[in-house]
Amino acid sequence: MGHRKRGHTHAPKPPPSLDTHSSNSLRLSDHEQGLKHRICMVSDFFYPNMGGVESHIYQLSQCLIEKGHKVVIATHAYGDRRGIRYLINGLKVYYLPLQVMYNQSTATTCFHSLPLLRCVFVRERISIVHAHSSFSAMAHDALFHAKTMGLNTVFTDHSLFGFADLSSVLTNKLLTVSLCDTNHIVCVSYTSKENTVLRAALDPEIVSVIPNAVDPTDFTPDPCRRDNNKITIVVISRLVYRKGIDLLSGIIPELCAKHPDLCFLIGGEGPKRIILEEVREKYQLHDRVRLLGALDHKDVRDVLVQGHIFLNTSLTEAFCMAIVEGASCGLQVVSTRVGGIPEVLPDELVTLCEPSVHSICDGLETVIARIRTGNVASPANIHRKVRTLYTWRNVAERTEKVYNRVCREPVLPLSARLHRLRSHCGAVAGSIFSFVAVINFIFLLFLQWLRPDHLIDVAIDSSGPQSRMGQHLSKKKSKAPNPAVS
Amino acid sequence: MGADSGPGAPAPVPWRKVLYERQPFPDNYVDRRFLEELRRNIRVRQYRYWAVVRETGLIAQQVSCVALFLTLWSCMERGALVPSAVLWVCLACALLGYGLYEILGGSCVRERTRLADLQSATIFLAFTFGFSPVLKTLTESVSTDTVYAMSAVMLLAHLVSFPYAQPSPPGSLSLNAALFGSVCLASRLPGALHTFTMLSCALLVFALWPCLLHRMREKAEWSFPWAAVLVCLAGVGGLGSLWPEGALLLALALLTLTLVCPLLLVHLQRHKDNIHGPWDEAEIREDLSRFLN
Repeated sequence: MGHRKRGHTHAPKPPPSLDTHSSNSLRLSDHEQGLKHRICMVSDFFYPNMGGVESHIYQLSQCLIEKGHKVVIATHAYGDRRGIRYLINGLKVYYLPLQVMYNQSTATTCFHSLPLLRCVFVRERISIVHAHSSFSAMAHDALFHAKTMGLNTVFTDHSLFGFADLSSVLTNKLLTVSLCDTNHIVCVSYTSKENTVLRAALDPEIVSVIPNAVDPTDFTPDPCRRDNNKITIVVISRLVYRKGIDLLSGIIPELCAKHPDLCFLIGGEGPKRIILEEVREKYQLHDRVRLLGALDHKDVRDVLVQGHIFLNTSLTEAFCMAIVEGASCGLQVVSTRVGGIPEVLPDELVTLCEPSVHSICDGLETVIARIRTGNVASPANIHRKVRTLYTWRNVAERTEKVYNRVCREPVLPLSARLHRLRSHCGAVAGSIFSFVAVINFIFLLFLQWLRPDHLIDVAIDSSGPQSRMGQHLSKKKSKAPNPAVS
Repeated sequence: MGADSGPGAPAPVPWRKVLYERQPFPDNYVDRRFLEELRRNIRVRQYRYWAVVRETGLIAQQVSCVALFLTLWSCMERGALVPSAVLWVCLACALLGYGLYEILGGSCVRERTRLADLQSATIFLAFTFGFSPVLKTLTESVSTDTVYAMSAVMLLAHLVSFPYAQPSPPGSLSLNAALFGSVCLASRLPGALHTFTMLSCALLVFALWPCLLHRMREKAEWSFPWAAVLVCLAGVGGLGSLWPEGALLLALALLTLTLVCPLLLVHLQRHKDNIHGPWDEAEIREDLSRFLN
């Protein structure tokens, strides 16, 4: 019953075979270019919070809008920022008043966000809900409610997880429950796909690998900005254990002793900053090691272009955006060989080392020797190579294919969903979440009685094929700043 | 290249695990090399039953130490033991233990001189003796039930937080819990000398005995099981003189601990399923504090 109510809205969702904008599109064809979706991106992490997931959601949404889809973003309220905001190109963002618990993630009871999210989904006539990041409770909530409401779901995972300790075991179980009836999952690297498939016991056929991308116009090289009398190594990351700052504290004294013209530029903030300051103090390297503190995203490029080498010492990464940004600015990249990093850059653009002080020092020595002899590609060449590797338009195109596939799939009705939960997620967790799913369904019926779908005002589209704003924009097709189309 | 698994002909180029190239495979393509780097149970230890039983001797003897200590306290409270006699026995034991420690550790480099040891012993004894009247009145305003409950919790905390893997030196939480528990109990005794005696015994049993036991294990491996068995028997026997049912319970608990729990541990190893792969967080296998020291 919950799935069929949509017929009462003003503009019913067209069935996939009859598209109002391209009546010649083939039914069930592989290239359904005319089919435009109405997508809701849900995550706890969005602007004004800065980070990889946030910029991923934003850039992907912008590229999808450019392709003609309707995209709406739902996130939690950040301080005073609550309600609806419109970003460039009519990207509508709902800042929902949900309580934030820890590290920008909301609390979840599996029920209390249903009325708000239902309003968003019904008002915007959403057909696909795309949730981001396993750390986000709101994303999992949205997936849960979307399935109860009969909408197709896609989930993107951005991080790697362990298996061994208690918190990992519980989190992986919750992920299994969340993903057991999700239509499609997207991971950012092959290692991440293997990790997610093992964590959530998924069928690997429903997991796609779509890497992240970087906007190369934001990260252009500028060799004039760097001091050619010295060799500068740039490190930009959060200063936490996971990013290998302990290794950095071993590398700095060793290399500074061997190379008098070497200096380090370290941007970022975190609890391990004290270790770097101690090392600097002990070896009296105040003029050669600069700690810049927390950097705004717009300042990152200015710091990167001052360096010759970009060093990444992470102990685990699903897809390291930082090294692509460093390479895009024309720096030589040295990184640890962990997680998905070996898949990201070709061998001529990156030097990979084992995660130990000795190995990273060897790698850095090799690169320093190459720089001294001038045996390195120019920053402009490196930028040219990297520019074509990862683009947001390519990511959007591949994601669009995921949506095309997903919208053809049926959403499991309640009985099938309960069966899947109990059979796939184990006896205890499956039964608990079946119960929660049933309560969720009853709550949805209650809400539909209280405020029926046909009485909810349909929002005016600000993006997508029926958008009012789009009519002005399509007239002046703005020149794309990113000429690298793939 | 997209998210459709349509029936395409297999491409002649092999699939590579790289993201920077456009490959002629769909995004959800599953190669036969999928999960090829998955490893299971690479660091699983093979336990042998009797070796584990030997190791649990340490836990059993620590429980018996606590029982022995409580027996001693109970005897002193009833007046069955005179404090001066106990004090002389403690001194004799301490000297004997110290001598044994020195003999066994003959080849080791001494971290502290004998003078330093004597100094710390003197300081401790002097301060405890001086403060014992104060300590005796410490729990005067607290009801007896509360004192017993607090001591029980503290001694339990001592047992739970004891560093069984590295008992020498004894961990700070376990030692502090034990000493606090003993101060609570000692304050219930009739005289200041009783309190002083009790605290000296507590120090011997909880602070010095684990060090001696550890040294015995390192140097004379054969003596450790005998020492553990001796302590357990003394604990059960001592408790038996007070409360026979309690002694029976203690004996049962010790037997379960030493014989049944290792059986469970060895038996459940077959269910271990540890997954390792390239997604694991890298371990830093070197001591990085050398750069800071």
